[in-house]
Amino acid sequence: METGVNSKVVGWSIVDKETVEKQKKRKVDFEYWGPTPREARKSAVAKKKGLVDKRMTIKEAVDRFVKDGMNIGVGGFVNTRVPTAIVWNLVKKGGKDLTLSFQSNSICCEWIAGAMLTYPEHMSIKRIELAWWGYEVIGIAPLLRFLAGNQMIEIDDYTNYGMSVRFKAGAMGIPFIPVRDHGGSDMELVNRGTMIQCPFSKENTYLVPACHPDVGFVHVQAADIYGNARIFGALCTCPEIAQASAHTIMSTELIIDNMAIRRYPNLTEIPYPVVDAVCEQQFGSWPGAVYGQYWFDMEHFLYFRSMCDEFRKTGSKDKLKAYFDEYFFGCDTYDDFIAKIVPHKKLIDLRRRDGGQPIILS
Amino acid sequence: MVSLADVNPYEMIAYTGSRVLEDSTIVFVGTGLPIIAAMHAQMTHAPSVNLIFEAGSLASILEQGMPMSVGDTRAFRKAVFAKGLCAVFELTQRGYSDYAFIGGAQIDMFGNVCSTYEGGTYLKPRVRFPGSGGAGAMAANCEKTIAIMALEKRRFVKQVDFITSIGFGDGSPDYRHKAGVMGAGPYRVITNQALFGFDKDTRRMTLLEYLPGKSPEAIQELVDFELIISPDVKEMAIPTEHDLMLLREKCDPEGFFLKRKIVDK
Repeated sequence: METGVNSKVVGWSIVDKETVEKQKKRKVDFEYWGPTPREARKSAVAKKKGLVDKRMTIKEAVDRFVKDGMNIGVGGFVNTRVPTAIVWNLVKKGGKDLTLSFQSNSICCEWIAGAMLTYPEHMSIKRIELAWWGYEVIGIAPLLRFLAGNQMIEIDDYTNYGMSVRFKAGAMGIPFIPVRDHGGSDMELVNRGTMIQCPFSKENTYLVPACHPDVGFVHVQAADIYGNARIFGALCTCPEIAQASAHTIMSTELIIDNMAIRRYPNLTEIPYPVVDAVCEQQFGSWPGAVYGQYWFDMEHFLYFRSMCDEFRKTGSKDKLKAYFDEYFFGCDTYDDFIAKIVPHKKLIDLRRRDGGQPIILS
Repeated sequence: MVSLADVNPYEMIAYTGSRVLEDSTIVFVGTGLPIIAAMHAQMTHAPSVNLIFEAGSLASILEQGMPMSVGDTRAFRKAVFAKGLCAVFELTQRGYSDYAFIGGAQIDMFGNVCSTYEGGTYLKPRVRFPGSGGAGAMAANCEKTIAIMALEKRRFVKQVDFITSIGFGDGSPDYRHKAGVMGAGPYRVITNQALFGFDKDTRRMTLLEYLPGKSPEAIQELVDFELIISPDVKEMAIPTEHDLMLLREKCDPEGFFLKRKIVDK
């Protein structure tokens, strides 16, 4: 939508006119990059709502739900409780013309980007709607820098709140949501949100569109076989992503008994109807951290990032290709991958480094 | 007496960051120096400073060492409230975050900050950065924005390539109101060589303090726009021996940020 209402960024911004005009077209001819709110509603209505055992392997889930051209909602936050086991299976299966939607992420996106750059016939990202793609203290993401600098992906930029609340709007079943950010920044000119005059306060108010991924990927500490999930530490935006997505694949460190869920129903952060696959997977977020389970494997983030940075600087794909060949295509399952890539002693150490954060599994 | 030579630039930034925080406030922090600044404030003049980490925690106790990420497990230790991004950004939008600590690649005289790209165009950037992350929302809706930047001419620019985090925009009095944001806006800019504020009437960046041994003229040399020099301009306070002990032994004993070591093996 384009309302003709803008903040004063229009007179002050130095973003070039051509860019602004081009980006404006995306507002005027707005399309959801994934299911529309009505399509998302339809997919929810079509689901059987009984308490049925949804356990399957991640491979089965990815094979069943992910298709070329889909919008994938990536859960977690930067390096925290990121769904690496699901993404690992996606990279193995491949997927073309994907849209990735997330607030902030690191290795999940860099893995997919790395596979795209080494095996373009197997994997490709068409566009991303995001707030942030990087590694925090470890550095900026070399492959995002490469893809953006070479115009290989379309980008839609929001803040972390903007993306989180776009999923929330999706989870609420509403088509957009007003926010108090983006306005007055250049995101107002380049993203697909729009400024309006609020009909009630009469003040300029920015609107961001709901985001419904075709498939949401979330990793949690504990869930029952139906998909009722507990999350401890940061919820990130996982409950919103799971509820906004047409389908949700959930990996969990542990399957817990349904009677445990019923004992403390307030602890359920994701309710079973929004979950389509429950996949038990220990270390399902490695090298990310899972509160109460294990801490970051900083060494691996550094190792993989330096390989990507070398590719960005030299254009040589050899090391990246060897990494994917050995650790992705050379492993049958994610468990094989973990066994091959992380020494057992290291895993024990990562568990120790969590520091015993208290979580409730009973 | 501590001499300036004993204090490294990161310690100077963290100490200055601590000094600008008032007690009984909520501070929305980013990884690294902002956390250290807030921890130091808690241990000295502002025991009731509480932190928000954007992955969703409020008032955690940082007893397990420095969080390596705003989503780090350690940033949720013994928090009073642990939810997700929506919850803490909504507290902020509602008016419960007093300070934002943000960083960026460029800042202009009205406190607008760029962290999206540098050089080229938005669609074909020379260097694409990670993006807004939380910064754009924090600068919009925390009440006061504190930016931490390196003081270099290529960073303190006349206009930023891309406004990722809103400051005072073009400096007009109603810029933020017309933008629909709620916070009062830029408050301080902390660098290793100077502390800046913003002039009440013109909303332009104003030199408040400079490193002992420097001068306002020397600071102006490092900035690509004309600074306002506060009539009360003075030298920056140097941390005492006790402050340095707190920074080095209590806040960041492993030296991840004060000594810029990133990973422990």
